[in-house]
Amino acid sequence: MKALSLLRRAPLAPSLRPTPPAVLDFLAPSTLQTCRQYNSTATRQSAANPSVSQQTSGSSKPKYVLNQQQREFLDRALRVNQAGELAATLIYTAQTPQVVRSHPHLRPLMKHMYDQEAGHFDTFNHLIAKHRVRPTAMYPVWEVAATFLGWSTGMMGREAAMACTEAVETEIGSHYNDQVREVLSWKAEAESRGEELDEELEDMLVTFRRIRDEELEHLDHAVENDAKEARPYDPLVNVIRYGCKAAIKISERV
Amino acid sequence: MTRSQPLLTLSRRYLTTAAPRTTTTTPIRTTTSLLTTKPTTTSLRTIQHQPCLRTTTPSIRPYHSIHHPSPPHEYSNSQTTILSSALRHVPTHGFTRDALTLGARDAGFLDVSVQLLPRGEFDLILFWLASRRGLLRSKVENDALLQSQSQQGPLSVDDKIKILIMERLRMNVEVKDKLQDALAIMSLGENIPLSLSELHALSDDILTLAGDASVDASWYSKRMAVAAVYASSEFVMTRDTSAGLRDTEEFLTRRWADARAVKDKVSGVKQCLGFLGSTAVGLGRSWGLKL
Repeated sequence: MKALSLLRRAPLAPSLRPTPPAVLDFLAPSTLQTCRQYNSTATRQSAANPSVSQQTSGSSKPKYVLNQQQREFLDRALRVNQAGELAATLIYTAQTPQVVRSHPHLRPLMKHMYDQEAGHFDTFNHLIAKHRVRPTAMYPVWEVAATFLGWSTGMMGREAAMACTEAVETEIGSHYNDQVREVLSWKAEAESRGEELDEELEDMLVTFRRIRDEELEHLDHAVENDAKEARPYDPLVNVIRYGCKAAIKISERV
Repeated sequence: MTRSQPLLTLSRRYLTTAAPRTTTTTPIRTTTSLLTTKPTTTSLRTIQHQPCLRTTTPSIRPYHSIHHPSPPHEYSNSQTTILSSALRHVPTHGFTRDALTLGARDAGFLDVSVQLLPRGEFDLILFWLASRRGLLRSKVENDALLQSQSQQGPLSVDDKIKILIMERLRMNVEVKDKLQDALAIMSLGENIPLSLSELHALSDDILTLAGDASVDASWYSKRMAVAAVYASSEFVMTRDTSAGLRDTEEFLTRRWADARAVKDKVSGVKQCLGFLGSTAVGLGRSWGLKL
């Protein structure tokens, strides 16, 4: 099976690596050389400018170069994740007063979950600014929608609020899982070619994994707190889950 | 000419463009022009194996990272050569086919090689815009444009944006008289999408260079504000006869102040609505409603 997948990927492999434009190397100023360091192969890199490859990373492996589809994937992924964490913080903000009012023992739990979501939101805001990713154009819409969702499920009681958490975290968790799987597949491909991912991608992989685990931990908390007791359970959870899926699809595009 | 041609000192790294290469070709100029070329040109070189006129989609580059530098640009070698030498003729001949032909001749190409640029004059305009945008970026990154002006403490983002817009407008001085023709060509129906994407790329670059890191809906409003202010200032600049573009600078300051005023108004209204809402909810809760 593995051999089969390798075989299928083999003809694609050359096109994944953007061919360095062979134009006018003799005219190009020296800055071009440094900016192209990851486009060249290991031998050429060490031959051309050994100092650069030494100072950028400790290991001598060449870096994996992202192609256009992979860049677009990261672009979409970061945009969706930021929108998702924005919605999550707003949902918890809107739910907390009503839930805590009737069930004061849930205050530490709600605060814990809110703090984690706020941390995730900060992380993705930082990543979006760093990589110059366009935030979603639906930002104001998601703000209103998330606040309304949190407020209305909070009004319906503790069980409905927890069912909302359960539905949202199920979707978000599987979404993060897909992203982790995608980045891992790049990593496997890089290793099969004797290359490695750059530090930013490695960091991103760690971040995605950590955040996914924390989201799934929220899911467990929600189920422990009688999310399954919500009435009517199935329609509520299904509506929220399909809403989440639609929001993810929309945020990927606009 | 107020500025000595800076293009040749411009690193190719800064020359990026959102322009797609299309496969449509304009009718070949008549063979008479081939016959009338100066015999001194070292012509017939390399034109036949140019892999140019590729088809790509126009795209604003996704996911910037220092580990994944963007490819320098999408122009082929001969296209860049012709366009760069054509830029020297723009102050005298404007953004016309004549400038392109003269540029091709200067670079030692045949006159017909102008057909390497399927969009003709518009390609020259796009190259002008993209290369000036790259020059602006290289001025900030290499020449410390924004540091050199900050004697009185660090500059605010707004000041930096104003400096960058003004710097970009000053690059237009040498082609000031020809700019209106260029704007006319850019506003033709088929050229509008590419013109707008170039304008967006410029405002995106200006905001990034100024250090703006907005990650919410203001990302859109800021880019629109910068683009609108830049475009209107450019119109004013084409008719500006004052020394050192003083009138344009004043106009820019006024427009930017207007944009700030609108932004403050909107955020004030939003804040007011937010206060009203939270007051209503608090009042309801104090009456014992389960809000």
